[in-house]
Amino acid sequence: MKRLLRASFLLTAGLLVVASGIAVAQTPPLYTKWVNYTTANGMPKGEDYSLAVNGNQIWAGTENGLVLIENGRVRKVFTTADGLAGQAVLAVAVDKQTGEVWAGTFGGLSRFSGGQFRSYTNLNSGLANDLVYAVAIQGKYVWAATAGGFSRLNTYTGEWKIFNNQNSPFTEPWGYGIAVGSKKVYLALWGGGVEVYDIAQHYWRPYTDPDDSFEIVLYRNQGLISMMVSSIAYNPEAKMFWAGTYFGLSGYDGRNWHNYLTKDSGLASNFVNGVKTQGDIVWVSTQKGLCEFNYKTNTWVTYRPADWRALDTAKPDKAHRGEILITRPDGKKTRMETPTSLPHNYVLNVAFQGNTIWVATADGVSHGFRQPNKEEQHNESATNRR
Amino acid sequence: MHPEKREVKANRRRGYFLKVAIVLLLAAIGLGLRETRSAASPANALWNPDIRYLDPVALALSPDGSRLYVVCTGRDLVLAVNTRTRFVVGRVQVGRKPEGIAVSPDGKTLYVTNEWSDSVSEIDASSFHVRRTLKTGWNPVGVTTGREGKFLYTANTLGDDISVINLATGKEVKRLAGGHFPEYVALSRNGKWVYVSNLLARVAPPDDPPLSQLTVVSTAKQIVTNHIMVPGVIQLRHIAQVPARDGGYLLIPFQQPHNLVPLVQIQQGWYMSHGMAVIRQPRTDAQKARVMEVLLDNIDQAFADGFGAACAPDGRVALVTASGANVVSVIDIAKLNQLLKQVPASDPEALAHRLDSARQFVVRRLKTGRNPTAVVISPDSHFAYIANRTDDTVTVVDLKQLKVASTINLGGPREITVERRGEQLFFDARFCYQDQLACASCHPHVGFEDGLVWSLETPELGRDVVENRTLLDIAGTSPFDWPGINPDLETQDGPRTAELIFRSQGFSPTQVRDLVTYIRSLKLPPNPHLAPDGHLTHAQEMGRKLFFRTKTNNGTIIPLYDRCYYCHSPLTHYTSRVLMDVGTSTKYDTVKSWDVPQLQGAYMRAPYLHNGEAMTLEGIWTKYNPDDKHGITSDMTKIQLSDLIEFLKAL
Repeated sequence: MKRLLRASFLLTAGLLVVASGIAVAQTPPLYTKWVNYTTANGMPKGEDYSLAVNGNQIWAGTENGLVLIENGRVRKVFTTADGLAGQAVLAVAVDKQTGEVWAGTFGGLSRFSGGQFRSYTNLNSGLANDLVYAVAIQGKYVWAATAGGFSRLNTYTGEWKIFNNQNSPFTEPWGYGIAVGSKKVYLALWGGGVEVYDIAQHYWRPYTDPDDSFEIVLYRNQGLISMMVSSIAYNPEAKMFWAGTYFGLSGYDGRNWHNYLTKDSGLASNFVNGVKTQGDIVWVSTQKGLCEFNYKTNTWVTYRPADWRALDTAKPDKAHRGEILITRPDGKKTRMETPTSLPHNYVLNVAFQGNTIWVATADGVSHGFRQPNKEEQHNESATNRR
Repeated sequence: MHPEKREVKANRRRGYFLKVAIVLLLAAIGLGLRETRSAASPANALWNPDIRYLDPVALALSPDGSRLYVVCTGRDLVLAVNTRTRFVVGRVQVGRKPEGIAVSPDGKTLYVTNEWSDSVSEIDASSFHVRRTLKTGWNPVGVTTGREGKFLYTANTLGDDISVINLATGKEVKRLAGGHFPEYVALSRNGKWVYVSNLLARVAPPDDPPLSQLTVVSTAKQIVTNHIMVPGVIQLRHIAQVPARDGGYLLIPFQQPHNLVPLVQIQQGWYMSHGMAVIRQPRTDAQKARVMEVLLDNIDQAFADGFGAACAPDGRVALVTASGANVVSVIDIAKLNQLLKQVPASDPEALAHRLDSARQFVVRRLKTGRNPTAVVISPDSHFAYIANRTDDTVTVVDLKQLKVASTINLGGPREITVERRGEQLFFDARFCYQDQLACASCHPHVGFEDGLVWSLETPELGRDVVENRTLLDIAGTSPFDWPGINPDLETQDGPRTAELIFRSQGFSPTQVRDLVTYIRSLKLPPNPHLAPDGHLTHAQEMGRKLFFRTKTNNGTIIPLYDRCYYCHSPLTHYTSRVLMDVGTSTKYDTVKSWDVPQLQGAYMRAPYLHNGEAMTLEGIWTKYNPDDKHGITSDMTKIQLSDLIEFLKAL
């Protein structure tokens, strides 16, 4: 009997170990260390809109210039005095081939090469509009999403091509986001849904909200969650695009839609500023934090300041403790705190540098580091908030 | 008949035939002499467009110095010269209009840029045949390999970029931004950098002084790491680097135009000066390059149009050719270093306008052939070789004795045609007061334009500043000059040029005829915006329809004189050849109506409008056509305007 009891105890213990192992495996390695770049260490005042990584150089588009961060410090803030087309830099992209930096500003598109800017505007080039919200590089082509449609510059020939509601099946001309694949370009339109352009076939495929522009979602997983698309990302491995909208997150795998709202997922806010993909992970920048979403395991992790509900905006450089909120597939939530934090919960964009992540927020840029196997040390403060 | 009488008669007949033969022979000789004299006589010059001269423009030496390779742009070929015997020992045909050459580090392969074929010919140096042809960007001129010989870099003058070609695959792997009209390329002595100099200054507002640039490419990363700015100058040419022990800096010939000052006084370099940029590249990206400028002109004599530059490996001397003066200046590096030491760090331009500098470091001015272009120096620093474009020769300079050792005749045509004489005049600055400038000085790239606005001597000084205009394909586009005051090229290049530009007696009537014949022969390069078969892209076709439209977007009839094709008639080179007021005159102009420019080659002619205000084609209509006087365009959408511009670029 004792032997039987001991055997059943060992079996139970073994099952528990396996089960907990599965549970641990479902939790991704967490970003627990954040190094912030704010006005305290050289960043200009205002929001940080965009990020791009080129080796050890980090380019940040901000409300007041284009910032180069290198080797852990803010090396230079480029402004219109340096030749930048506009002061507010909403988009930044690096051409990995040439090393050139392209900055989308509210005064046009700037090309930074060898320490010099060359700017393209609506008046001196084929740029559709001077309000540039997104930039993407596709080989020799540079795409810009503008308030007057999308412009494509062939850097080899200097030819500009404009795509807007006059020559393309757009319902609105206002471009907000671009993602490029090898043969297709995915365009996010403010109020116009998603348009996918097949470059070789010159063929457009629109993706819209089946219940049109209603803010409520009538037809779940039957189409784009909202026409107000703020950003778009393309995952080449899964051949899937993700659209961030101001009313939730949509993913399309070529056959089915996968839509996410705060009410029934770990999405921190339906107000999505930016979306990026990294393998199976979708990074969603929202007004209530940064979400790391593994769409295969349906696990969400949200990063934000622990005191995000009552941030003292008068003291933007104040150090915060961080909050990590894990939402598992069954809806169970786990909260923990970290000694460091993103500087603000209003997150606008991310970029990746090796195993680390850079995050643009309303009050500075943050560099996040993963610390695997550290979950346990934070579990002491964890509370189940189902 | 008596045999004796028959004999006498026969002798008389023989004598008669002999006399006739002698007379005929003398007549033939006389005629021949007269024809020969005619060929050399200015009054009855030979006109034969089929004669093609060699026009040597680029040189390279084999690593051991035994072979001199000469790129002959006029005949699309490369010659090999044995430097010991000084005879041409090989020739190979390449693409159209070859301009630059590089030798692989092992000396086994030559790379020759073909400017009008957008390609590089890869040539086996021993068998002297073309192995393969590599595609580049638009109109490659300068070329170099990296130190390992794995990659090739070409400066594409019409593309404003630099092609990087993987020599293993023969494919272009990337194209880097290269400034405005990048033309000359050099690999740094340590192999870490490729330098690219730009012929023309940045396109900038017309009242900005010119700003030229040297593009620096990292050979390790193959990215542009720096655009070093050289203020106040244009036409940066060949790049020479002094050995590290002697300073390690770069020497680049330039022209220093004084285009914003009314051209009323020419002496002492008030139109333009000629010199060289001295550039010390920073050791790290964070540091700034040190750019100094020194003049090669003397106070009373210019040495116009610096072109080739080379530094002897032993660091003793550097050579800079003055292509408008038919001279090579020999620079003593030690003396130059002494002078440069006096330049304060706070004022790097201290010597930029000093016409008393050259005598301190130029130790010899040697006479070359006509229009000296490239120069190279043998590995043992003993001899220099200079390509003379307009007399098909190479001047050999003995650098130990600092004198011309010999002249190598490359075997061009012996006949001198009218065009050739005109070409020689075009590049010759000796018709100008103090030899300050030639036609080519303001029309670089063989008849193009310098991209500057010039304050010429006008009735009201400082007003009616005008942009320089091209000489390419201008036959049939009279009148000339922006105000249209020159009814023909003879007037423009004869008395007008003598009076207002050269401030001298200028050319003789025969020389004017020769020069005009040459200028009329100048052709635009193949248009890279137009498909080889001439078909238009969709955007170009849409633009063509807009160019010829008769109604606005809302259906209103456009008055005839407001239609594009009315002023820019395709029947007459896209110009109406009359003066038109299109609302582009400013408060600084006394003239309202300007000559309508032809549109062919417009894509390469920025800036635009008579005063160079429009820096791009778009700017002509987005900024400088507020009242629709320059064609009805305000109803056009942005897409339509882009299409129109695509069509114009295809002309």
